[in-house]
Amino acid sequence: MAVSTKAPKARQLSDLARQEERTAWWLLFPSLLLLFLIGIYPLAQVFYLSTTNKRFASSQPTEFIGFANYRDLLSMTVRELPVQLDEAGQPVIEDGKKQYESWVRVLPREPLRYRAAFEFGFFGKRYVIGAVNADFIKSVWDTIVFTVVAVALETLIGLIIALALSRKFFGRSVMRTAMLVPWAIITVVSSLIWEWMFKSNRSGFFNALFDRLGWGDGNTVFLVNPALQMPSIIAIDVWKTAPFMALLLLAGLATIPRELYEAAEVDGANKIRKFFSITLPLLLPTMAVALVFRTLDSLRVFDLFQVVFGERRYSMATFAQFTLVSNKDMGLSAAASVIIFIILFIFAIIYMRSLKVDA
Amino acid sequence: MNKQTRKIIGEIFFYILIAIIAIYLIFPFYWALISALKTEGELIAAPATFFPKEITFRNFQAVFTNTAFLRGILNSFIVAGSTTLFSLMVGAFAGYALGKLRFRGRTPTLYTILAMTMFPAVAILSGLFQVIKAIQDIAWLNVPTLVLLILIYMVFTLPFTIWVLTSFFRGLPDSLLQAAQVDGATFLQTFWYILLPLTAPALVTTGLLAFIGAWNEYLFALTFTLQEPGSRTVPVAISQLGGRFAMQEPTGELMAAALIITVPLITLVLIFQNRIVDGLTAGAVKG
Amino acid sequence: MNRFRLLVFISFALSSALAQETIQLSIMIGSSSGIDFVRDAANEYMRLHPEVAIEVLEGPARTDDLLAIYEDYFNSQEGVDILTLDVIWPGDMGDFMLDLYQFEGFSEAANEHFEAIIANNTTLEGELLAIPWFTDAGLLYYRTDLLEKYGFSDPPETWQELQSMAQVIQDGERVAGNEEFWGFVFQGREYEGLTVDALEWIASNEGGTFISSEGEVTVANPEAAEVLELVASWVDSISPPGVVDFSEEESRSVWQSGNAAFMRNWPYAYSLGNADDSAIAGKFAVAPLPAGEEGASVAGLGGWGLGIPNYSAHPEEAAAFALYLSSKAQQKQRAIAGSFAPTYPELYQDEEVLAAVPFFADFRTIVEHAVPRPSAVTSPNYAAVSRAIYRAVHTILIKERDAAEGLEVLAADLEAITGFPRVQP
Repeated sequence: MAVSTKAPKARQLSDLARQEERTAWWLLFPSLLLLFLIGIYPLAQVFYLSTTNKRFASSQPTEFIGFANYRDLLSMTVRELPVQLDEAGQPVIEDGKKQYESWVRVLPREPLRYRAAFEFGFFGKRYVIGAVNADFIKSVWDTIVFTVVAVALETLIGLIIALALSRKFFGRSVMRTAMLVPWAIITVVSSLIWEWMFKSNRSGFFNALFDRLGWGDGNTVFLVNPALQMPSIIAIDVWKTAPFMALLLLAGLATIPRELYEAAEVDGANKIRKFFSITLPLLLPTMAVALVFRTLDSLRVFDLFQVVFGERRYSMATFAQFTLVSNKDMGLSAAASVIIFIILFIFAIIYMRSLKVDA
Repeated sequence: MNKQTRKIIGEIFFYILIAIIAIYLIFPFYWALISALKTEGELIAAPATFFPKEITFRNFQAVFTNTAFLRGILNSFIVAGSTTLFSLMVGAFAGYALGKLRFRGRTPTLYTILAMTMFPAVAILSGLFQVIKAIQDIAWLNVPTLVLLILIYMVFTLPFTIWVLTSFFRGLPDSLLQAAQVDGATFLQTFWYILLPLTAPALVTTGLLAFIGAWNEYLFALTFTLQEPGSRTVPVAISQLGGRFAMQEPTGELMAAALIITVPLITLVLIFQNRIVDGLTAGAVKG
Repeated sequence: MNRFRLLVFISFALSSALAQETIQLSIMIGSSSGIDFVRDAANEYMRLHPEVAIEVLEGPARTDDLLAIYEDYFNSQEGVDILTLDVIWPGDMGDFMLDLYQFEGFSEAANEHFEAIIANNTTLEGELLAIPWFTDAGLLYYRTDLLEKYGFSDPPETWQELQSMAQVIQDGERVAGNEEFWGFVFQGREYEGLTVDALEWIASNEGGTFISSEGEVTVANPEAAEVLELVASWVDSISPPGVVDFSEEESRSVWQSGNAAFMRNWPYAYSLGNADDSAIAGKFAVAPLPAGEEGASVAGLGGWGLGIPNYSAHPEEAAAFALYLSSKAQQKQRAIAGSFAPTYPELYQDEEVLAAVPFFADFRTIVEHAVPRPSAVTSPNYAAVSRAIYRAVHTILIKERDAAEGLEVLAADLEAITGFPRVQP
């Protein structure tokens, strides 16, 4: 008896659940259809191509070569650089520093030729990291550094802008317009504007400005000097994307109920405490999504590196592009893309886990 | 130091900070403006002048008389506008399903959608080229290139739209849903009459972001509009502003073009934003 | 619904039937390669040949974008019928281009063009892949007023002379108050242009052309190292520190604002330098580039040709139009109205051409001695070869490596890319 009274109710519940499930899939249907129809073939093709030696725009027959492309991209080795010795067998010292042999004689040449990706000092010795494809290893490192620094800065600046715009102040509308400017300019063009501002003589803004301020000699080569390349390109990216952050965070701020602040004020909380106990926790879900997408976007950065650095310094995506278009090595380019995909996936998982976005 | 002076000092710092950020954001735009107004002689002179000595409108004239460029603006508005509209429509359904409904396979679906954005665009270009060719080869369908561009851009804007909207839908209290269900509303009714209005700020924001994403896109637009000059979008039209000689870069004209396409866009966004965001942020969130 | 479908079908059938009457050809031109001249030429050609319809598409201004498009065409075996080709492309594209000698009129026409350009566009098997359309060659620009002011009668003939003259003029102008003044500007950025500049330095110092036409890696030699050491010493002495980030346009902007005594550039800077708002209009002239003390002046060869891709449905008609576009009459018109340098030696004696572009008078000998980059011999790897070259030369210019070591690394790279043996000169 007890069973029979319970059964219809359970069925009713599961009917409801089933109806909910059906509705969900119907709602998802248009999105999934479009994504799969257009997206799935190109994506699957990348995986397939990465295991072949296919060349782009070439009549050479394509062969399956397994993981050889991955081996070429990822093979690395670390070697110690010997100290340069003079004829008397004493270390050569220039400017008070010991001189080391060049990597050319140190890194292996057979069966695969290694080139230097990085050199670093450790406990008074000097090491070189060699890679078969040093360009790719460098591009991975550069892109990750670029992403971490740029995303951190633009989150910070975006948060400041969002907080500022969420209160009333003199010039708020000006600020709101200002915020849209960088972001409305087409990336290809804004990269050109900045490249123009970074020109290597005083006809460029930064050299003209620094010269007036008495810094440098007015001939700083921002985009070639390795120490200035990354700060320059990060400045451009932060400028371009901080508004994106600000806008998302602003929408997030708008959903925080005022009552919470009012209650906190009654409790005598100051601004800083209100920020950390109310604003930040409630903003976190929005911020997490913004961070995930900004990070994924930065890891795939293309236009900016392409215009500003060309082939002087690669991001992962421009590396894939040059491997494809200039070297026509479609297989290697696809393998690089798969590695990029994996790196992005790892980043995404870390975010999901630590920020609990998918909870 | 009493509370009053502390507050004033705080305010001063606040305004200084705001001013610095505003300058950082606007200055490159100003630099493009004066570069577009300078004569070539002054543009390349060192040291650079911070205000043009002699103003010329030659660059603006050149851009405004370029019909391909004007056509590009129109195409860009069509493509970016439609992409935004369709992404929001389709994405809001998906966001609602993923954010508020319980069903098996929810998390894998979210991850799969996210994974679609993890390849560099160049990697899927040639595969996409084949897909687009296949669609174009269905002659009786006769799909215009602009529609194809919209479809491609949606693949790139949808994952983002879905994710943002999912997080917003999830943030809405379940009590609303339950109340609606008690009243006998269907899922769709709940969605349409209760949830959608509440997520309006998120819709506006994601809409803007999707719009700019589509507006900025260059690589696909270049590849897929080559055979059809009439369908070219603004970034492609700008890339075709060449000098009189193969090696000459018309910097002044590029700057002028950048300004010309930015100003209407900002105006549009401003009107949009003030009307909608302000209206909604005030009343939408009651919790 | 059905009726509608039928209507569409009929109109479609009709339009394709109509289309079959004329032969559809298409060509893509970058906006800076004189697209208006091509449009006019196409209209004229269609009037003469009513059976042909030619569509002139505007391509991207950037050469790399155009290359990417062509590669898409080759990959999908579908695209425009006539390709405009940079002088370094025919080699790498060899598999996809038709031998033009199979078409009527090309053997005769080829004899009339500069030999060096025809040789560059010809494969090892003797196939002509592109018919020359216009040419380009590296030049030395110099300030006539400043040379006179500092007591020099002629432009420099050796790189050492250039260095000392540049130093004198630079010091003088700096004392006179122009702090922005530099002696010599060239193209030092990591890009194709640096390969051309390096070719000119090295070949003019008897250091070869990186890779010989017999397919040997010759680049690691003392003459090459010597001249690169010299050039590297110019950075931040007679050349601005930023020269390592200069392409053609950055060099021109310094030069045209009156802040350089000498410049290495292509002919395009000539008419721009004489424009109304140029600070140096009428104050400069061009000469062949200097040479090493033992060697002879070398100009890097540039320019464009026209070729027919293997997927074209109407190769014969396309070839006929390419021949028409590259004809003497067409090139003359483009030379007069657009200062595009002709590929026919004969046109450099044409009075109308010389009246329009006076410096073409000296240009003929320069083109005759122009040296192509090793694009034909290294095909299909030229892009990788050139990249290895300009990256290696750049590391020498920014003094990351000394010249001998840099060339050593480069030689190993070139061996790996091409599989050619290395030769000690």
